Amino acid sequence: MSVQLAMPKSWRVDTKPHKFCPGCGHGLVLKALGEAIDELGIQDKAVYGCDIGCSLLSWDFFNIDAIQTHHGRTTPVITGIKRANPEVIGIAYMGDGGGYAIGSQHLVNAAARNEKITLILVNNTQYGMTGGQMAPTTMPGQKTETSPYGRDPEKTGYPTQGPEMVAAITQEGAYVARGTVANPKQMKGFIKKALENQINGRGFSFVEILSTCPTNWRTNAEDTWKFLEKDMTKYFKVGEIKVPESRHEEGK
Amino acid sequence: MRLNISSRIVEAYVGEYASGKSEVAVNRALMLSRLGRTVTLVDLDIVEPCYTLRPIKLELIAAGIQVLAWETRDTEGLGEAGNVIRAENRWALKRPGDIILDIGYGVGGSRTLNLLEGAGTDPDLRVVAVINASRPMTASIEDITGYVGELGNVNMLINNTHLGDETTADIVQEGARLVSGASVILDMPVLATTAAEEIAAIIGPKDCAGNQVWAIKRYMPQTFW
Amino acid sequence: MPEKPIKGDKRYFMTGNEVVAYAAVMANADIMYGYPITPQNEIMHYWTRMAPKYGKEFLQTEDELSAGFTTVGGVLAGRKAFTATAGPGNTLMQEPISMAEAMRLPIVVAVQQRGGPSTATVIYSQQEVTLTTFGGNGEGFRIVYSTATHQELYDYTIKAFNTAWKYRFPTFILGDGYQAKMRESLTMYDPESRGIELVSPEAYVGMPGTPGIDRPPGQYRNTYNVEEELYEVLQQYQKEYDAIAPEVAEFESLGAEDSDLVVVSHGVVSRAAKEAVMELREAGVKVGYFRPITLRPMPEKQLREVANKAKTLLIAESAIGQLARLVKDSIYGCGAGIIPLFKPGAGITAEEISAKIKSVLG
Repeated sequence: MSVQLAMPKSWRVDTKPHKFCPGCGHGLVLKALGEAIDELGIQDKAVYGCDIGCSLLSWDFFNIDAIQTHHGRTTPVITGIKRANPEVIGIAYMGDGGGYAIGSQHLVNAAARNEKITLILVNNTQYGMTGGQMAPTTMPGQKTETSPYGRDPEKTGYPTQGPEMVAAITQEGAYVARGTVANPKQMKGFIKKALENQINGRGFSFVEILSTCPTNWRTNAEDTWKFLEKDMTKYFKVGEIKVPESRHEEGK
Repeated sequence: MRLNISSRIVEAYVGEYASGKSEVAVNRALMLSRLGRTVTLVDLDIVEPCYTLRPIKLELIAAGIQVLAWETRDTEGLGEAGNVIRAENRWALKRPGDIILDIGYGVGGSRTLNLLEGAGTDPDLRVVAVINASRPMTASIEDITGYVGELGNVNMLINNTHLGDETTADIVQEGARLVSGASVILDMPVLATTAAEEIAAIIGPKDCAGNQVWAIKRYMPQTFW
Repeated sequence: MPEKPIKGDKRYFMTGNEVVAYAAVMANADIMYGYPITPQNEIMHYWTRMAPKYGKEFLQTEDELSAGFTTVGGVLAGRKAFTATAGPGNTLMQEPISMAEAMRLPIVVAVQQRGGPSTATVIYSQQEVTLTTFGGNGEGFRIVYSTATHQELYDYTIKAFNTAWKYRFPTFILGDGYQAKMRESLTMYDPESRGIELVSPEAYVGMPGTPGIDRPPGQYRNTYNVEEELYEVLQQYQKEYDAIAPEVAEFESLGAEDSDLVVVSHGVVSRAAKEAVMELREAGVKVGYFRPITLRPMPEKQLREVANKAKTLLIAESAIGQLARLVKDSIYGCGAGIIPLFKPGAGITAEEISAKIKSVLG
């Protein structure tokens, strides 16, 4: 008899096993999200939107109402739903290309308007589904299909600091953090706090998750984790970046 | 180069975009299968998975080859181009018999093999760079050596020079000359020269550089990509 | 329940944009999403003025992509949601509209056409016909009402919400800058007092109960894996579209059955065409008038009847043949020839049409 690790209650069992590549971080993020939804008891209220890119593979991942949208457009679709029905808990799930490139205006403006929705953005430093092109998050020197000689920051800039930007443009009440699939417990905590922020009606919540893409990185297990834990964290600092309570206390 | 019939053959075909990796891999798998060998053909094309093999997959299975490739129907979002590695493919090297790996193009080159369990330690694994000297990026000895140098670990070259319907024996022979010239500089053998059956008949069993000639069928015109 | 702004029938003097806003309130629209662009702005201005009074919501978005996609979200949440746009905004909005088409989402969009291509003029044109009927990377599974008067703006805005939610195709009110800013009188009324039943919306997501326990989850996608799968879906959409087309298609016609020359026009140009045709008929000239009210679907059967009897169709429009292309497509194989009166981005008067008719008839 094999031991099956428990799936979150909110997962759709009939769509498992999922279709992400072996070693992909999406499964870990979606597990943390599933557990957070279970613990908060919001399976009946959550509405999930996923972007185009590998994130679209999650459109039927949960036993939760869900929409697979267009590339970069998950933020406005979930915004539209939340505005029309404030009772739902809106979750927008996207990749770094969807959030920081083609959909960046939606991210910036949803944050600035303090939309009461939760964005989860998976950062694996490139466009996975289209075959590994350079993304806003690609590391300096990193080779991708569109930076075949390595990303040159002089020509293409440095990796986007998403949560730092969101923290800078949001008002009191927003929750912003960066987690990593290397620390699932912390990641789940961040996602849970982000959802709680929405449940409590405080404001916009945004969690970037550093994740793995061995397929496009062309890395074995060891190098995959090395890139995630050593290289990516050089630029992308893991931790909470904006927390409503602490800000409030600071002001006292 | 002589192949020992009794030993396990594990070949990974890498190379430039549209250099003919899938074509050579499919023909190689069929060639080995016809010799009565157990063959598994693995699609490791990450940029355009399953598109190349999909229309001929059933034909290959009917020929007795095990094919590890996505059924397009099962791959959500491949309409978006998509890339997903099947878990089964990751363990392909653990299968019995011959393994032919079709590796897609990309800056990762042969580093795609890092995704396979046991690739670093498999004693039989040979990485073969497919060269079509009619492609602009591999059109001279200098281009070929430069290109192969960027692919990462490569053990052999294969001359797959052709010009589609306009291919002549001369074009294939010119490719053989260039690929063999590059092989001297790169210090790696040439596995073979491929040629469509009618061209191979004109060239004979050896090309102008002394490489064995594989008579192949061009399947890819039946496929989409 | 908040009161409605209009109770009994009453004549009002208004601009077209105001009319659309009032009609949306009277159609029980719940939420508008919008981005400023001339000449549709007053639709938002009047919606936002009325919103708190009648329990309506509004969100001003960062661009038309967002306005379209939030409208899609509003519909998914089960609310009557709409937006309004024009010109370059209409171009951007084709992306969300194509998602609505793919997922059969009943969004309603008011388009007040302005000059094109590019920024062009903020004033007027009929150059968004092609975009509104067949924009996006798809097959034009949409319903488009082209209005000519403020009364029609009111009537068809109310109708658009019903059409959208009944058939689940994105539905458009296609006006123009002249209609948007022009002042004229109309009768506003409570549709329910006239026996017009307002179709109720239904939620796609966020329904009661826990998905997977009390009900299956509502999960929707617009991505398909293989050609066959997409082909099957589109064949089914086409079949359904063809089936409803005859009952959705609308037209207006005058003397088209007994005239050798029939003027074909739509929208505000049809006012001039009608005036010219009526004057000439009073003077004893046998000339007809035909106006498709729906540009998608076209009133194909009626138009073909006209094109089989008449020798010539004079197509008048404020664009270079955008209506003409729809007409030609509809009348393929019929006997009538076509004479154009195209004035891209500029208005067409009754006098111009009259003069053109006279020159054709000799």
